[in-house]
Amino acid sequence: MALLEYAIIGGILYGIFFSLVAIGLNLIFGVMRIINLAHGQFVMLGGFGAYLVTSSLGLNPIFGVPLAVLGGIAIGYPLYYGVVPRLQRSRDPEMLSFILFFGVAQMIEAVMTLLFGVDERSLPGEALGSGNFGVLGQQFPDSWWVAVAVSLLCIGGLWLYFSRTRLGYATRAIIANREEALATGINVNRVSAIAFIIGLSLAGIAGVFVPYLVGSISPSDGSDLTTTSFAIIIIGSLGNPLGTVVGGLVFGVGTMLMQTFYPSWSNLVPYVLLVLIVLVRPSGLLGKAVRNA
Amino acid sequence: MIKALKKAWLASVMTAGLVLPGAAMADTATAPSVIKIGTLYASTGNFAIASKGQYEGLEYWAKEVNADGGVFVKAFNKKIPVKIVAYDDQSSTSTATTLYNQLITQDHVDLLVADFGSVLTSVAVPLAAEHKMLLIDPTGSGANFFTQKTNYLADVSIPSSTVWPLPLAHFLLDQHIKRVAVIYDSNDFDASQAETLKETLVKGGVTPVYYHGVPTGETNYNVLLHTIAARRPEALIEFGYPPNDIAFLRTLSSSGLHFNMTFTIFPGQLMKMMEKTVGAKAMAYTYTYPTPPLVATTDTTYGPDTATFVKDYTAAKNEAPNFLNVAGFNTGLIMQDMLGQAPQFTQLSFHQALMDMSGKTKTLEGEFKINENGAQLGELFSVAQLIPSGDTNKIVVVYPEDKATGKPVYPAPKQ
Repeated sequence: MALLEYAIIGGILYGIFFSLVAIGLNLIFGVMRIINLAHGQFVMLGGFGAYLVTSSLGLNPIFGVPLAVLGGIAIGYPLYYGVVPRLQRSRDPEMLSFILFFGVAQMIEAVMTLLFGVDERSLPGEALGSGNFGVLGQQFPDSWWVAVAVSLLCIGGLWLYFSRTRLGYATRAIIANREEALATGINVNRVSAIAFIIGLSLAGIAGVFVPYLVGSISPSDGSDLTTTSFAIIIIGSLGNPLGTVVGGLVFGVGTMLMQTFYPSWSNLVPYVLLVLIVLVRPSGLLGKAVRNA
Repeated sequence: MIKALKKAWLASVMTAGLVLPGAAMADTATAPSVIKIGTLYASTGNFAIASKGQYEGLEYWAKEVNADGGVFVKAFNKKIPVKIVAYDDQSSTSTATTLYNQLITQDHVDLLVADFGSVLTSVAVPLAAEHKMLLIDPTGSGANFFTQKTNYLADVSIPSSTVWPLPLAHFLLDQHIKRVAVIYDSNDFDASQAETLKETLVKGGVTPVYYHGVPTGETNYNVLLHTIAARRPEALIEFGYPPNDIAFLRTLSSSGLHFNMTFTIFPGQLMKMMEKTVGAKAMAYTYTYPTPPLVATTDTTYGPDTATFVKDYTAAKNEAPNFLNVAGFNTGLIMQDMLGQAPQFTQLSFHQALMDMSGKTKTLEGEFKINENGAQLGELFSVAQLIPSGDTNKIVVVYPEDKATGKPVYPAPKQ
């Protein structure tokens, strides 16, 4: 029973963190209908940002969080205006974005490999706390709790953005129907650019904590992170950023339960869930039913 | 280094002279201008760290022999420069399959060298056999490769993984450790080690209290470690690749859990990188397989001894070599000896030369000894423990007794 409790609590924590890992991908898809296949590479960049903050500046890796936001702006703004409007003028933006961002992902990985080599990098183990903190008698490393706290802050912040700000209303309007939003006078391009920057920043922030939850970070970790993120957002609801949290929790708890009882099969969890969701409820657990006329 | 290679070349010439005095050599006019050595490396992915190390070692060997005019090829009775033709497989077996095929059918390489490890070697084994090409296998040690007699496979720089854990199993039995947990990656390299360990332990009356595979890409060990701790093992053995070992040791360090003994593979191969990533403290008292250059061979019969290699490599590359650099270099040395002994420039003759060298050659990795299935039975690993020494750890060989440089600290103290 203790193992079951540990797996469930661990799964919830892991799932909340992976919601943050994936949420930027869903936000960008929801607003722009483009698939950012370089999402995992932006998460990886966040991890390397934190690595630089600690190794070069001697600061706590938590300072990687503001750096990720700055990086999101510095990369997101030119990338958006250089690429996205052109994509959206094309006949099949989803497919084209798939190819284009695959190229971006490969470029980022290649550049990072040139700059940092292929070695795994880690962050100081005790920087986010050296002890363990328990809930219901189950102890988890301090770094997990910090990662979860930051994830909840980011997800909560995104919810407030959607529900309390004019830009957030406009973003939701675009998610609901881009053409109608355009017709009502919303500056779709500007709102989309902001969403794009937020999406990349959230990915970067998640990256800061990846070395603590998965041991280390290397330039080649991006593709796996993209795949996992993609599975999570499909499980939750593709195009509904906050649905990502449900996807993350299902993924986290499922993975940890499998690790506890059938560890060999644990990597299958996100993909089995993905297939089941696509077959049974294609719009995702939180997706709205689709009505066909 | 040049001196050592010259010595090796001279030995080859003398051997050639002894074995085939005045024998008809191939016409030097038909000799190729270069010996093309085809290989793959991974610049990214799970195997990048290790693959890069192995490739750098092989490149270093090629540079050294070319600086000396090339390798002596007995079939042409002359020295010929070597040229490495290498492609990046990005740790992908499907990419590797295409590229191995390209090396054989398009580049027509003279010698085929596999990429690092069992996963990336696995796709080369059937391809090489199909094209009747001898696969020089530096570090692919998975047991499944060596199940039948073959002329087209030779594991040259690492023991077959089935024999790796034998000293470890005997050490556990000697220490009277009764509760052993084994967690391994589900790939041939790690699974075959786990299987051998389990089999040997069971024969010794010890049944593992936890024995499970995890996916090769596993990097989250927190819940797994708590599941294992619930079985109260005295020793926890983890068989994985470098990213797994890093994640495992870091998670263990931050988990608040303690085991009397923990074992991982790669600290003994990539000590510097592992200490940098995991931290010396988190690795303290961990057991591992010590590999050259962490353990030295002094009485080599071919090529430099470990100390000379380390000195020359460090001078040339401005960094000390790790085991995978040694493995890559050793692969070159074995091929050099093979070319110096093979009377004909054919794949079968190369294989026969390797068989003839088996049991008679000792390089910086130890005794070169292969069986008819291509498995490496020499170059055996001992068991070592990382003992804190100032800000770092030093390797202390603890088993077998004839190779031991110190006593094990068991149970390991809490850090």
